[in-house]
Amino acid sequence: MSLEAAGFWGLALVLLASSLAVVLSKNLFHSVLYLALALVATAGVFLLLQSEFLAAVQILLYAGGVITIVVFAIVVTERLVGERLTQTNRGIISGGLVSLIILIAILFFVTRAKLPRAAPPLAGDLTETIGRDLLTRFLLPFELLAVLFLAALLGALYFARKEE
Amino acid sequence: MGLEPYLILAACLFTIGLFGVLTRRNAIGILLGIELMLNAVNVNLVAFARYGADSTGLVFTLFTISITVAEVAVGLAIVILIFRVRRTVEADHLDLLKG
Amino acid sequence: MIDAVTLALVALGLPFCAFVLLAVVTPLRRAGRAAGALSIAAVGGSLLAALRLWWAGASMEAAWSWLPAESGPVATVGILMDHVSAVMLVLVALVSFLVQLYSLGYLEHETAPALGRYYAYHSLFAFSMIGLVLASNFLQMFIFWELVGLCSYLLIGFWYQKPEAARAAVKAFWTTKAGDLGFIIGIVLLWGQTGTFSFTQLFQMADDKTLPTAGLSLIMFLIYLGAVGKSAQFPLHVWLPDAMEGPTPVSALIHAATMVAAGVYLVTRTYPLFALTPDVLALIGWVGAFTALLAAVLGLVQSDIKRVLAYSTVSQLGYMMAALGAGAAGAGFFHLLTHGLFKALLFLGAGAVIHAVGTNDIWKMGRLFGVMPQTGIVFLVGTLALAGIWPLAGFFSKDAVLAGVWDGGLTVPFLMLALTVFLTAFYMFRVVFVVFFGDRHAEGQHPHDPPFVMGLPLWAPAGLTVGVGILLAGGGGGEAFHGPDWIPWLSSGLAVTGILFAWVTYQRQGVSAASLARAVGPLYTAALRQFWLDDLYAAIYRGVLLGLAWVVGWVDRYLVDGVVNLASAWTFRCGDRLRRIQTGRVQDYLRWVAVGVLLVIVWSYWR
Repeated sequence: MSLEAAGFWGLALVLLASSLAVVLSKNLFHSVLYLALALVATAGVFLLLQSEFLAAVQILLYAGGVITIVVFAIVVTERLVGERLTQTNRGIISGGLVSLIILIAILFFVTRAKLPRAAPPLAGDLTETIGRDLLTRFLLPFELLAVLFLAALLGALYFARKEE
Repeated sequence: MGLEPYLILAACLFTIGLFGVLTRRNAIGILLGIELMLNAVNVNLVAFARYGADSTGLVFTLFTISITVAEVAVGLAIVILIFRVRRTVEADHLDLLKG
Repeated sequence: MIDAVTLALVALGLPFCAFVLLAVVTPLRRAGRAAGALSIAAVGGSLLAALRLWWAGASMEAAWSWLPAESGPVATVGILMDHVSAVMLVLVALVSFLVQLYSLGYLEHETAPALGRYYAYHSLFAFSMIGLVLASNFLQMFIFWELVGLCSYLLIGFWYQKPEAARAAVKAFWTTKAGDLGFIIGIVLLWGQTGTFSFTQLFQMADDKTLPTAGLSLIMFLIYLGAVGKSAQFPLHVWLPDAMEGPTPVSALIHAATMVAAGVYLVTRTYPLFALTPDVLALIGWVGAFTALLAAVLGLVQSDIKRVLAYSTVSQLGYMMAALGAGAAGAGFFHLLTHGLFKALLFLGAGAVIHAVGTNDIWKMGRLFGVMPQTGIVFLVGTLALAGIWPLAGFFSKDAVLAGVWDGGLTVPFLMLALTVFLTAFYMFRVVFVVFFGDRHAEGQHPHDPPFVMGLPLWAPAGLTVGVGILLAGGGGGEAFHGPDWIPWLSSGLAVTGILFAWVTYQRQGVSAASLARAVGPLYTAALRQFWLDDLYAAIYRGVLLGLAWVVGWVDRYLVDGVVNLASAWTFRCGDRLRRIQTGRVQDYLRWVAVGVLLVIVWSYWR
């Protein structure tokens, strides 16, 4: 087994396990921590796919920013812990069934499709390409993204303001 | 190694996230599930970008991450607001639109 | 010189105008006697026009298109004038005139608005009856037929506050309606076969043998049913005795002389068609004779003077129908004319008695001849005519009927009619002896002869009955008598025997009436109950009709309404169940979204 394959399987295992832990954990705080682990593992997967920039962005924004925000929210809302799974999850069987069937359906398509067996050779570091694309091809979405951030900022500020 | 394993991995992650969205009682737990789903999408995009030799997927992933961050921020702000008003973040109790 | 069409229209139009005026101009109607004057003047004008037409021997047909269509009008209105309709027109106008005049005196105690309403109805009736007589096609005749039935209902129920009168009016309407149902079905079937309603066209087709004879017997039988109802043949005769609840002048006009004669008139009018169906004619003859006998038996046991006369009318109508059935249409129509005169006379005389004494019960009257000689004389004249004594008009017409039935070969009906002659004389003279002679039973009242207004209409028909009779005895005018020679002797003998028997029983009390009743035993009780025919009809009505109504009601409530209620209940329940999908919880909605996505995936694969 090649290094890539071994790395993939290891990371895949961690990722799946931590994801399952996120959704099945009885303690919400633990869920958040497992999410952090999952996000970091995803960054690892990005590294395997030779997208270093994105791996860095993933760790910075996701594992850093999102987790922090969620932790704060949990602290504020105070409702954390359940002793049994049914206290934190509802309709497990039907939800699980639906999800399972969707999984099977998607896998069905994926396995039927003609997919490349090997990765094409890399044409050097893509960071520069990404940067250039952002400011040329995807300039409009980039600018709109800025507007979106502004809106999100204002919205979050408004929602979280002190009640008078 | 082939594109397929990555896609299968993404699919599994997506359904796990979906399961979390559908079953979690706590609103924040639901948001965590959404995070997982978006994460799976990112994996998918990057894998296709790598195997299709197209950097578009990477840019798309960048955008996805950014938007996710914004969405989490606003969503959690709403959750906190709901908590202030109704003293609960349990999704079952938020049924004001009940028919 | 006014032409026949105009005269006919005048005769028809004057009463109609009187009716419209009385119906619309309320102050005129409320004025009572003024309304009467208007109505009498109108029908008087009709009488003059009718006399003119009859005198001129007019014979014509006029037609105006009524329901125009591509290939000729679907229906026409018109006037058919020949000697049959001319003389009938005179009878109707004359009796209407006399009765309306008489009513001024008879109904003098009525309130003015009620009197006005009475005369409005009378004008409507005159218009309807004249229209029926002058009708030139089946459809028109049927319309006026129904109008006449309506007037009968309105006038029988004139004193509508009396429950018996109201019930009698409804009974008359319903019973005749049963016959009318057959009538209209027959008319429509005939139209379906031949494509025309018009009498002259149908007679032409009958003449040319182009009339389709398939099912003609059924058609003519159905048309005859209309006559059964209107002319009170068995078994639809039950309404006529009850119709006596109406004022006596009304009984005289409608239920003696004119409306009930409409059935006989119908058969006479359409005789060329009936001639093509001898089996229906035979039925008519048998039913007529049976009706005559049955009604005579029923008349024997009545103690209400008007009911005796009512049953007598039914009996005489049976005579007329029997003659028609036997093939002697002329004889039947002749009897109709003479009967119209003397039966109206008898009713008006009875009315004078009732007006004077205040009761209808013959056992509460007695020895009235001394105090009401005029009334007594005219009543006697009428009774003799009814019994068929020479030389009064009734003798000739009755013998014509008997001869016709004998010649037609209907032996058993002939025997029934002969027996009826005896019974007729008997029961009529029973009334005469009890009311006018015999012991005084009336208490308190001071009977007197009626005033002139009522007197003239009594003397006029009496005079006519005698006059026509003498005319016929002298061999002139009207129908020539042809038939076996022994018939006049037989009928006279039976009549005289009947009179003697009545004299012995009621005047001399030689034979006790009670022992007679006991002698015939069960027949007597049966006759008192009208042979339970009314009870049978009531039972059918209550049982069948109400039972059917109950069933239909049940079906409507539980099946029809049930289906609707079930549908609405299901809708509510479904709505209620479906409402629960809206739980208000986001996760449930997401669940449904996921299922939807699944379905899309599956569908896209199957494509």
